Parts: sequence; structure tokens; C-alpha cells
Amino acid sequence: MLGRVRFILAAVPMMALSVAVPFVNRVEPRIFGFPFLLAWIVFWVLVTPLFIWSIGRIERRW
Amino acid sequence: MNALIAIGTTVIVVLATIVFATISVRRVRMSPQEYIVGGRGFGAVFLWVLLAGEIYTSFTFLGAAGWTYAFGAPTFYILAYGTFGYILGYFLLPWIWAFAKERGLLTAPDFFAARFGSKWIATLVAVVQVAAVVPYMTLQLSAIQIFLNIAGYGHVNAHLGAIVSFAAIIAFVFVTGLRGTAWASIVKDALVIGALLFVGVAIPLHFFGSFGTMFDQLLRAHPDHLVLGSLTAPKGSLWYVSTVLLTGIGFFMGPHSMAAIYSAKDANVLRRNAMYLPLYQLVLLLVFFAGFSALLIAPGLHGTQVDRSFLDVVSRYYPAWILGFVVATGTLCALIPSTALVLSAASIVAKNILGDLFGLALDDAARLRVTRAMVIVIGLFALGLWLTYRTTIVALLLLYYNGVTQFAPAVIIGALQPRTSAWAVGAGIVAGLAVALPLAFAGLAPYGINPGFLGLIVNALIVGASAWITRSASPA
Repeated sequence: MLGRVRFILAAVPMMALSVAVPFVNRVEPRIFGFPFLLAWIVFWVLVTPLFIWSIGRIERRW
Repeated sequence: MNALIAIGTTVIVVLATIVFATISVRRVRMSPQEYIVGGRGFGAVFLWVLLAGEIYTSFTFLGAAGWTYAFGAPTFYILAYGTFGYILGYFLLPWIWAFAKERGLLTAPDFFAARFGSKWIATLVAVVQVAAVVPYMTLQLSAIQIFLNIAGYGHVNAHLGAIVSFAAIIAFVFVTGLRGTAWASIVKDALVIGALLFVGVAIPLHFFGSFGTMFDQLLRAHPDHLVLGSLTAPKGSLWYVSTVLLTGIGFFMGPHSMAAIYSAKDANVLRRNAMYLPLYQLVLLLVFFAGFSALLIAPGLHGTQVDRSFLDVVSRYYPAWILGFVVATGTLCALIPSTALVLSAASIVAKNILGDLFGLALDDAARLRVTRAMVIVIGLFALGLWLTYRTTIVALLLLYYNGVTQFAPAVIIGALQPRTSAWAVGAGIVAGLAVALPLAFAGLAPYGINPGFLGLIVNALIVGASAWITRSASPA
């Protein structure tokens, strides 16, 4: 069960940064002036450490 | 006068970095383990700069900004692929590290020899990796020449400057090994952040007032610049997805990255770095801003001119000492990653080719001497290659980008499935290269898909199928 949770936690940001990108390939809505595509990628890069941290917690690494 | 100030600043900063790093390692007793993988004692900071080394090379300053200028949105892939690589790395790196430590591995081919029990697969990996790394170093020489040209405002012999600085850095690796690279990388990365804050924040705010205004002006002047092209267009959406997957999966497959993994003092240092390093990658946003600014300030550049677009903006609108600092940072971004590359190639030739294949230089003292000698030989070879075949060498870079990644399925299956045969892994690598390289050299990207990714799929299918067969054939 924990194995599946860790897998999902890893897969979500990986998918968001790769295969999901063609579906968010647009300028509007602008986020803080950024075009939406760039804002999407920056958002997922920013939150990836939270996902990895959660995996580490589940594995009791920290 | 301007040329004197800018070049003077560059020379002082680069020299100071080399001297600082050399002094920092002067008390270290050298052995092959110490010289090649830092005695497996590196903590969080050294690993941080070594694992991030791939992100901040001279490509960051020239290629990435130039791409942003010329193509726009496709360049965003460089933010995504490293992050993708770090997530994968969280799982993969601690396993590689533990496997390597237990068996005292030194080089990337050592991993293949130990994991698949075959000297020939290690030799195949060794040859491909050395062949891939040398052109990558020659590219750095071309980058140094561009930097020095700009700093000299055209009055300085940049060709000679590139040769001298490269010779100096080879001498530096000869003396210091991986620990020297780590110390110098700390200085380099600090300078990179300073320089990028200037070109990526100060320049856009100076010229446009805010990032929002910059994007507004971009959208008016180049409406399609901030989104990817249609699905199958060149550098379109399929290209983006396939390139992120290819380069993300291959993120740690370069021989210098494997040496960096081995150098960790424990597995959790690798996990923690994998967690934080995506944030470090966000600094690349500043490179995008610099490229976008250059496109608005100095439009109409074409071909190789785009690579120097934002440096031209700095040289035209800002004082010479600022240009000197930016150029020094760029030059270090070419030199310091070269030290890691030449060291990994030298250790592969000394350990896997001369040692394991021909039985030469097997004891520690001899191996250290031979590795150091190979640093000089490979450094001079790269220099000679650059002097004679400068223009055609760029094509060989495709071998780096498409070739090194083909080792990923073997490493991943090596972690998951203990009985995979060396033949399957070797066949996968050869098939992957056979698909990717001809397409890449011909400049073909079917449906916009990155040819390296097509090779990776064929490779993974062969390795995966054989792993599945060996698993079902044995009574688990």
C-alpha cells in the first residue's frame, strides 16, 4: 500500500512536467504576468521538493 | 581600455578560483579512490555543486539564452528535465551508491562490469562514454573563445586565450582530482547566481520596469514565442515531451555524474540533494529572462549570433568590469565542468581499458600515475581535435546527447531485476544507438519526436522483454 502511495507521489510531478505539458500549452490565463505554460512548469518545479519530502517521510528517511 | 578592464577582470577571477581550489586540496593524500571519487567522503555541499554541475555549464550562458532568443517556449524543457531527473534520482542514486561502495567501484563502466558480470559490456560502455565526452569538451573550448572575444571587444586574440585557459585547467585537474573540481564548483556556482541575478533581473527591470511588461511586449512583438508549436511541428509539443523524457531519464548517466554519485559519504546526502536541487534549477528562469530581454532590446539576430545576444546587450549598455565578471563566470562554466569530464574519461581509460582489458597499471600507485597521465593525454587530444576540426565537431555532440542516455535502461533494470543478462543489456544499448545516431546525424525527428527518445524506446523494449523472459523462465 505504501509502495503505491510513493509511486503516485513520484509520478504526479513527473507527468505534470512531461506528458501533461501539451495540454497546458497556452498563454492565458496569465499568472503574475507569466504566460500560463511557463507558470505551470515553474509551479511544478517549486512543489516537487514537497513531493520528494513526503516520499522520504513515508520511507522514514527523515 | 574597456577591453583591458573586462579581460583583466576575467583573468583575475578565473585565476583566483583555480588558485583557491588548488590551495584547498593541498593537504590531501592522493590515491586512485581519492583522486577519482573524492575518497567517497563528500557531504551535502560538494554533492550539491557536483550533481548540479550539469545544469550550469557554458550552455546555460550561451545555448540556453540563445535558444530562448531564437525559439522561445521549447527552451522551457531545461527547467523540467532536471526536475524529472531528480525525482528519478531520489530512488536510483542511493541504490547505485550502495552498490558501488560495497564493491569499491571507481568508474561508470565498473558499474556495468560488476552488475552484469561482463568485461565486454564494460568495454562497450567505456568506449561510448569516452567518445561522447571528448566532443563535449571541445564545445567548451569554442564557448571560451566566444566569451573572450566579447570581453576583448574584438581586440584580443581569443583563440590563444582559449588554448591557454584550457591548458591551465588541465594542469589543475592533474594536481587536484575530483576534490579540486568540487571546490572550484562552489566558487563557480556562487558567481553564476550573482551573474544571473544581474542579467536576468537587473536588465529586464532596467529596460521594461517589470517582468509582466516584458511578457506583454514579447506577446505583442512575437505572439507565438511563449507557447510550443503544434503537436508534430519541429520543436513542437511532441518534441518537448520526448526531450524531457529522454534527457530526464538520462540525467545522471554521464560518466562524470556517476563519479559524483560514488563520491557521496552516505545515501541520505543523495536523497536530500535530490529533494532540494529542483529549487536550484529555478535560477535558470533568469536565463530565460535574459534571452527574452535580448530579443526585445536587440532584435534581428540570426544563426550563431543569437548565442551571444545577451552578452552583446551587457557589453553595449553596461561598464566593462560588469562584462568582465559575467564573462569570467561564463568561462568558469566552460572550464570547471570540463575538469569533471576529463577526469571521468581519464579514469575510464586508465581503469577499464588499460587496467581491466590489458592488465596494465593495477596497483594503486601505478593507477594514480596512469590516470593523471591520461588527464594530460585526453586534454591534449580534445585541444588538438578543436584546433583541426572545429566546425564539424559540433555534429559529434549528438553522440553525447543521444548516446549517454542509452545506458539508462540497463542501470534501471539493473536495480530492479537481478538476473538480467549482459547480452540483453548490450543489445539494448547497441540497438538504441543504432536507431538514435543515424537519425540525429541526418537531422531527422519523425513527427517532431527527439531521435534519442526513439532509440531509448527500442533499447528499453529489448532490455525489458529480456528481463521479463528471464524472470518467468526461473522459478522465482
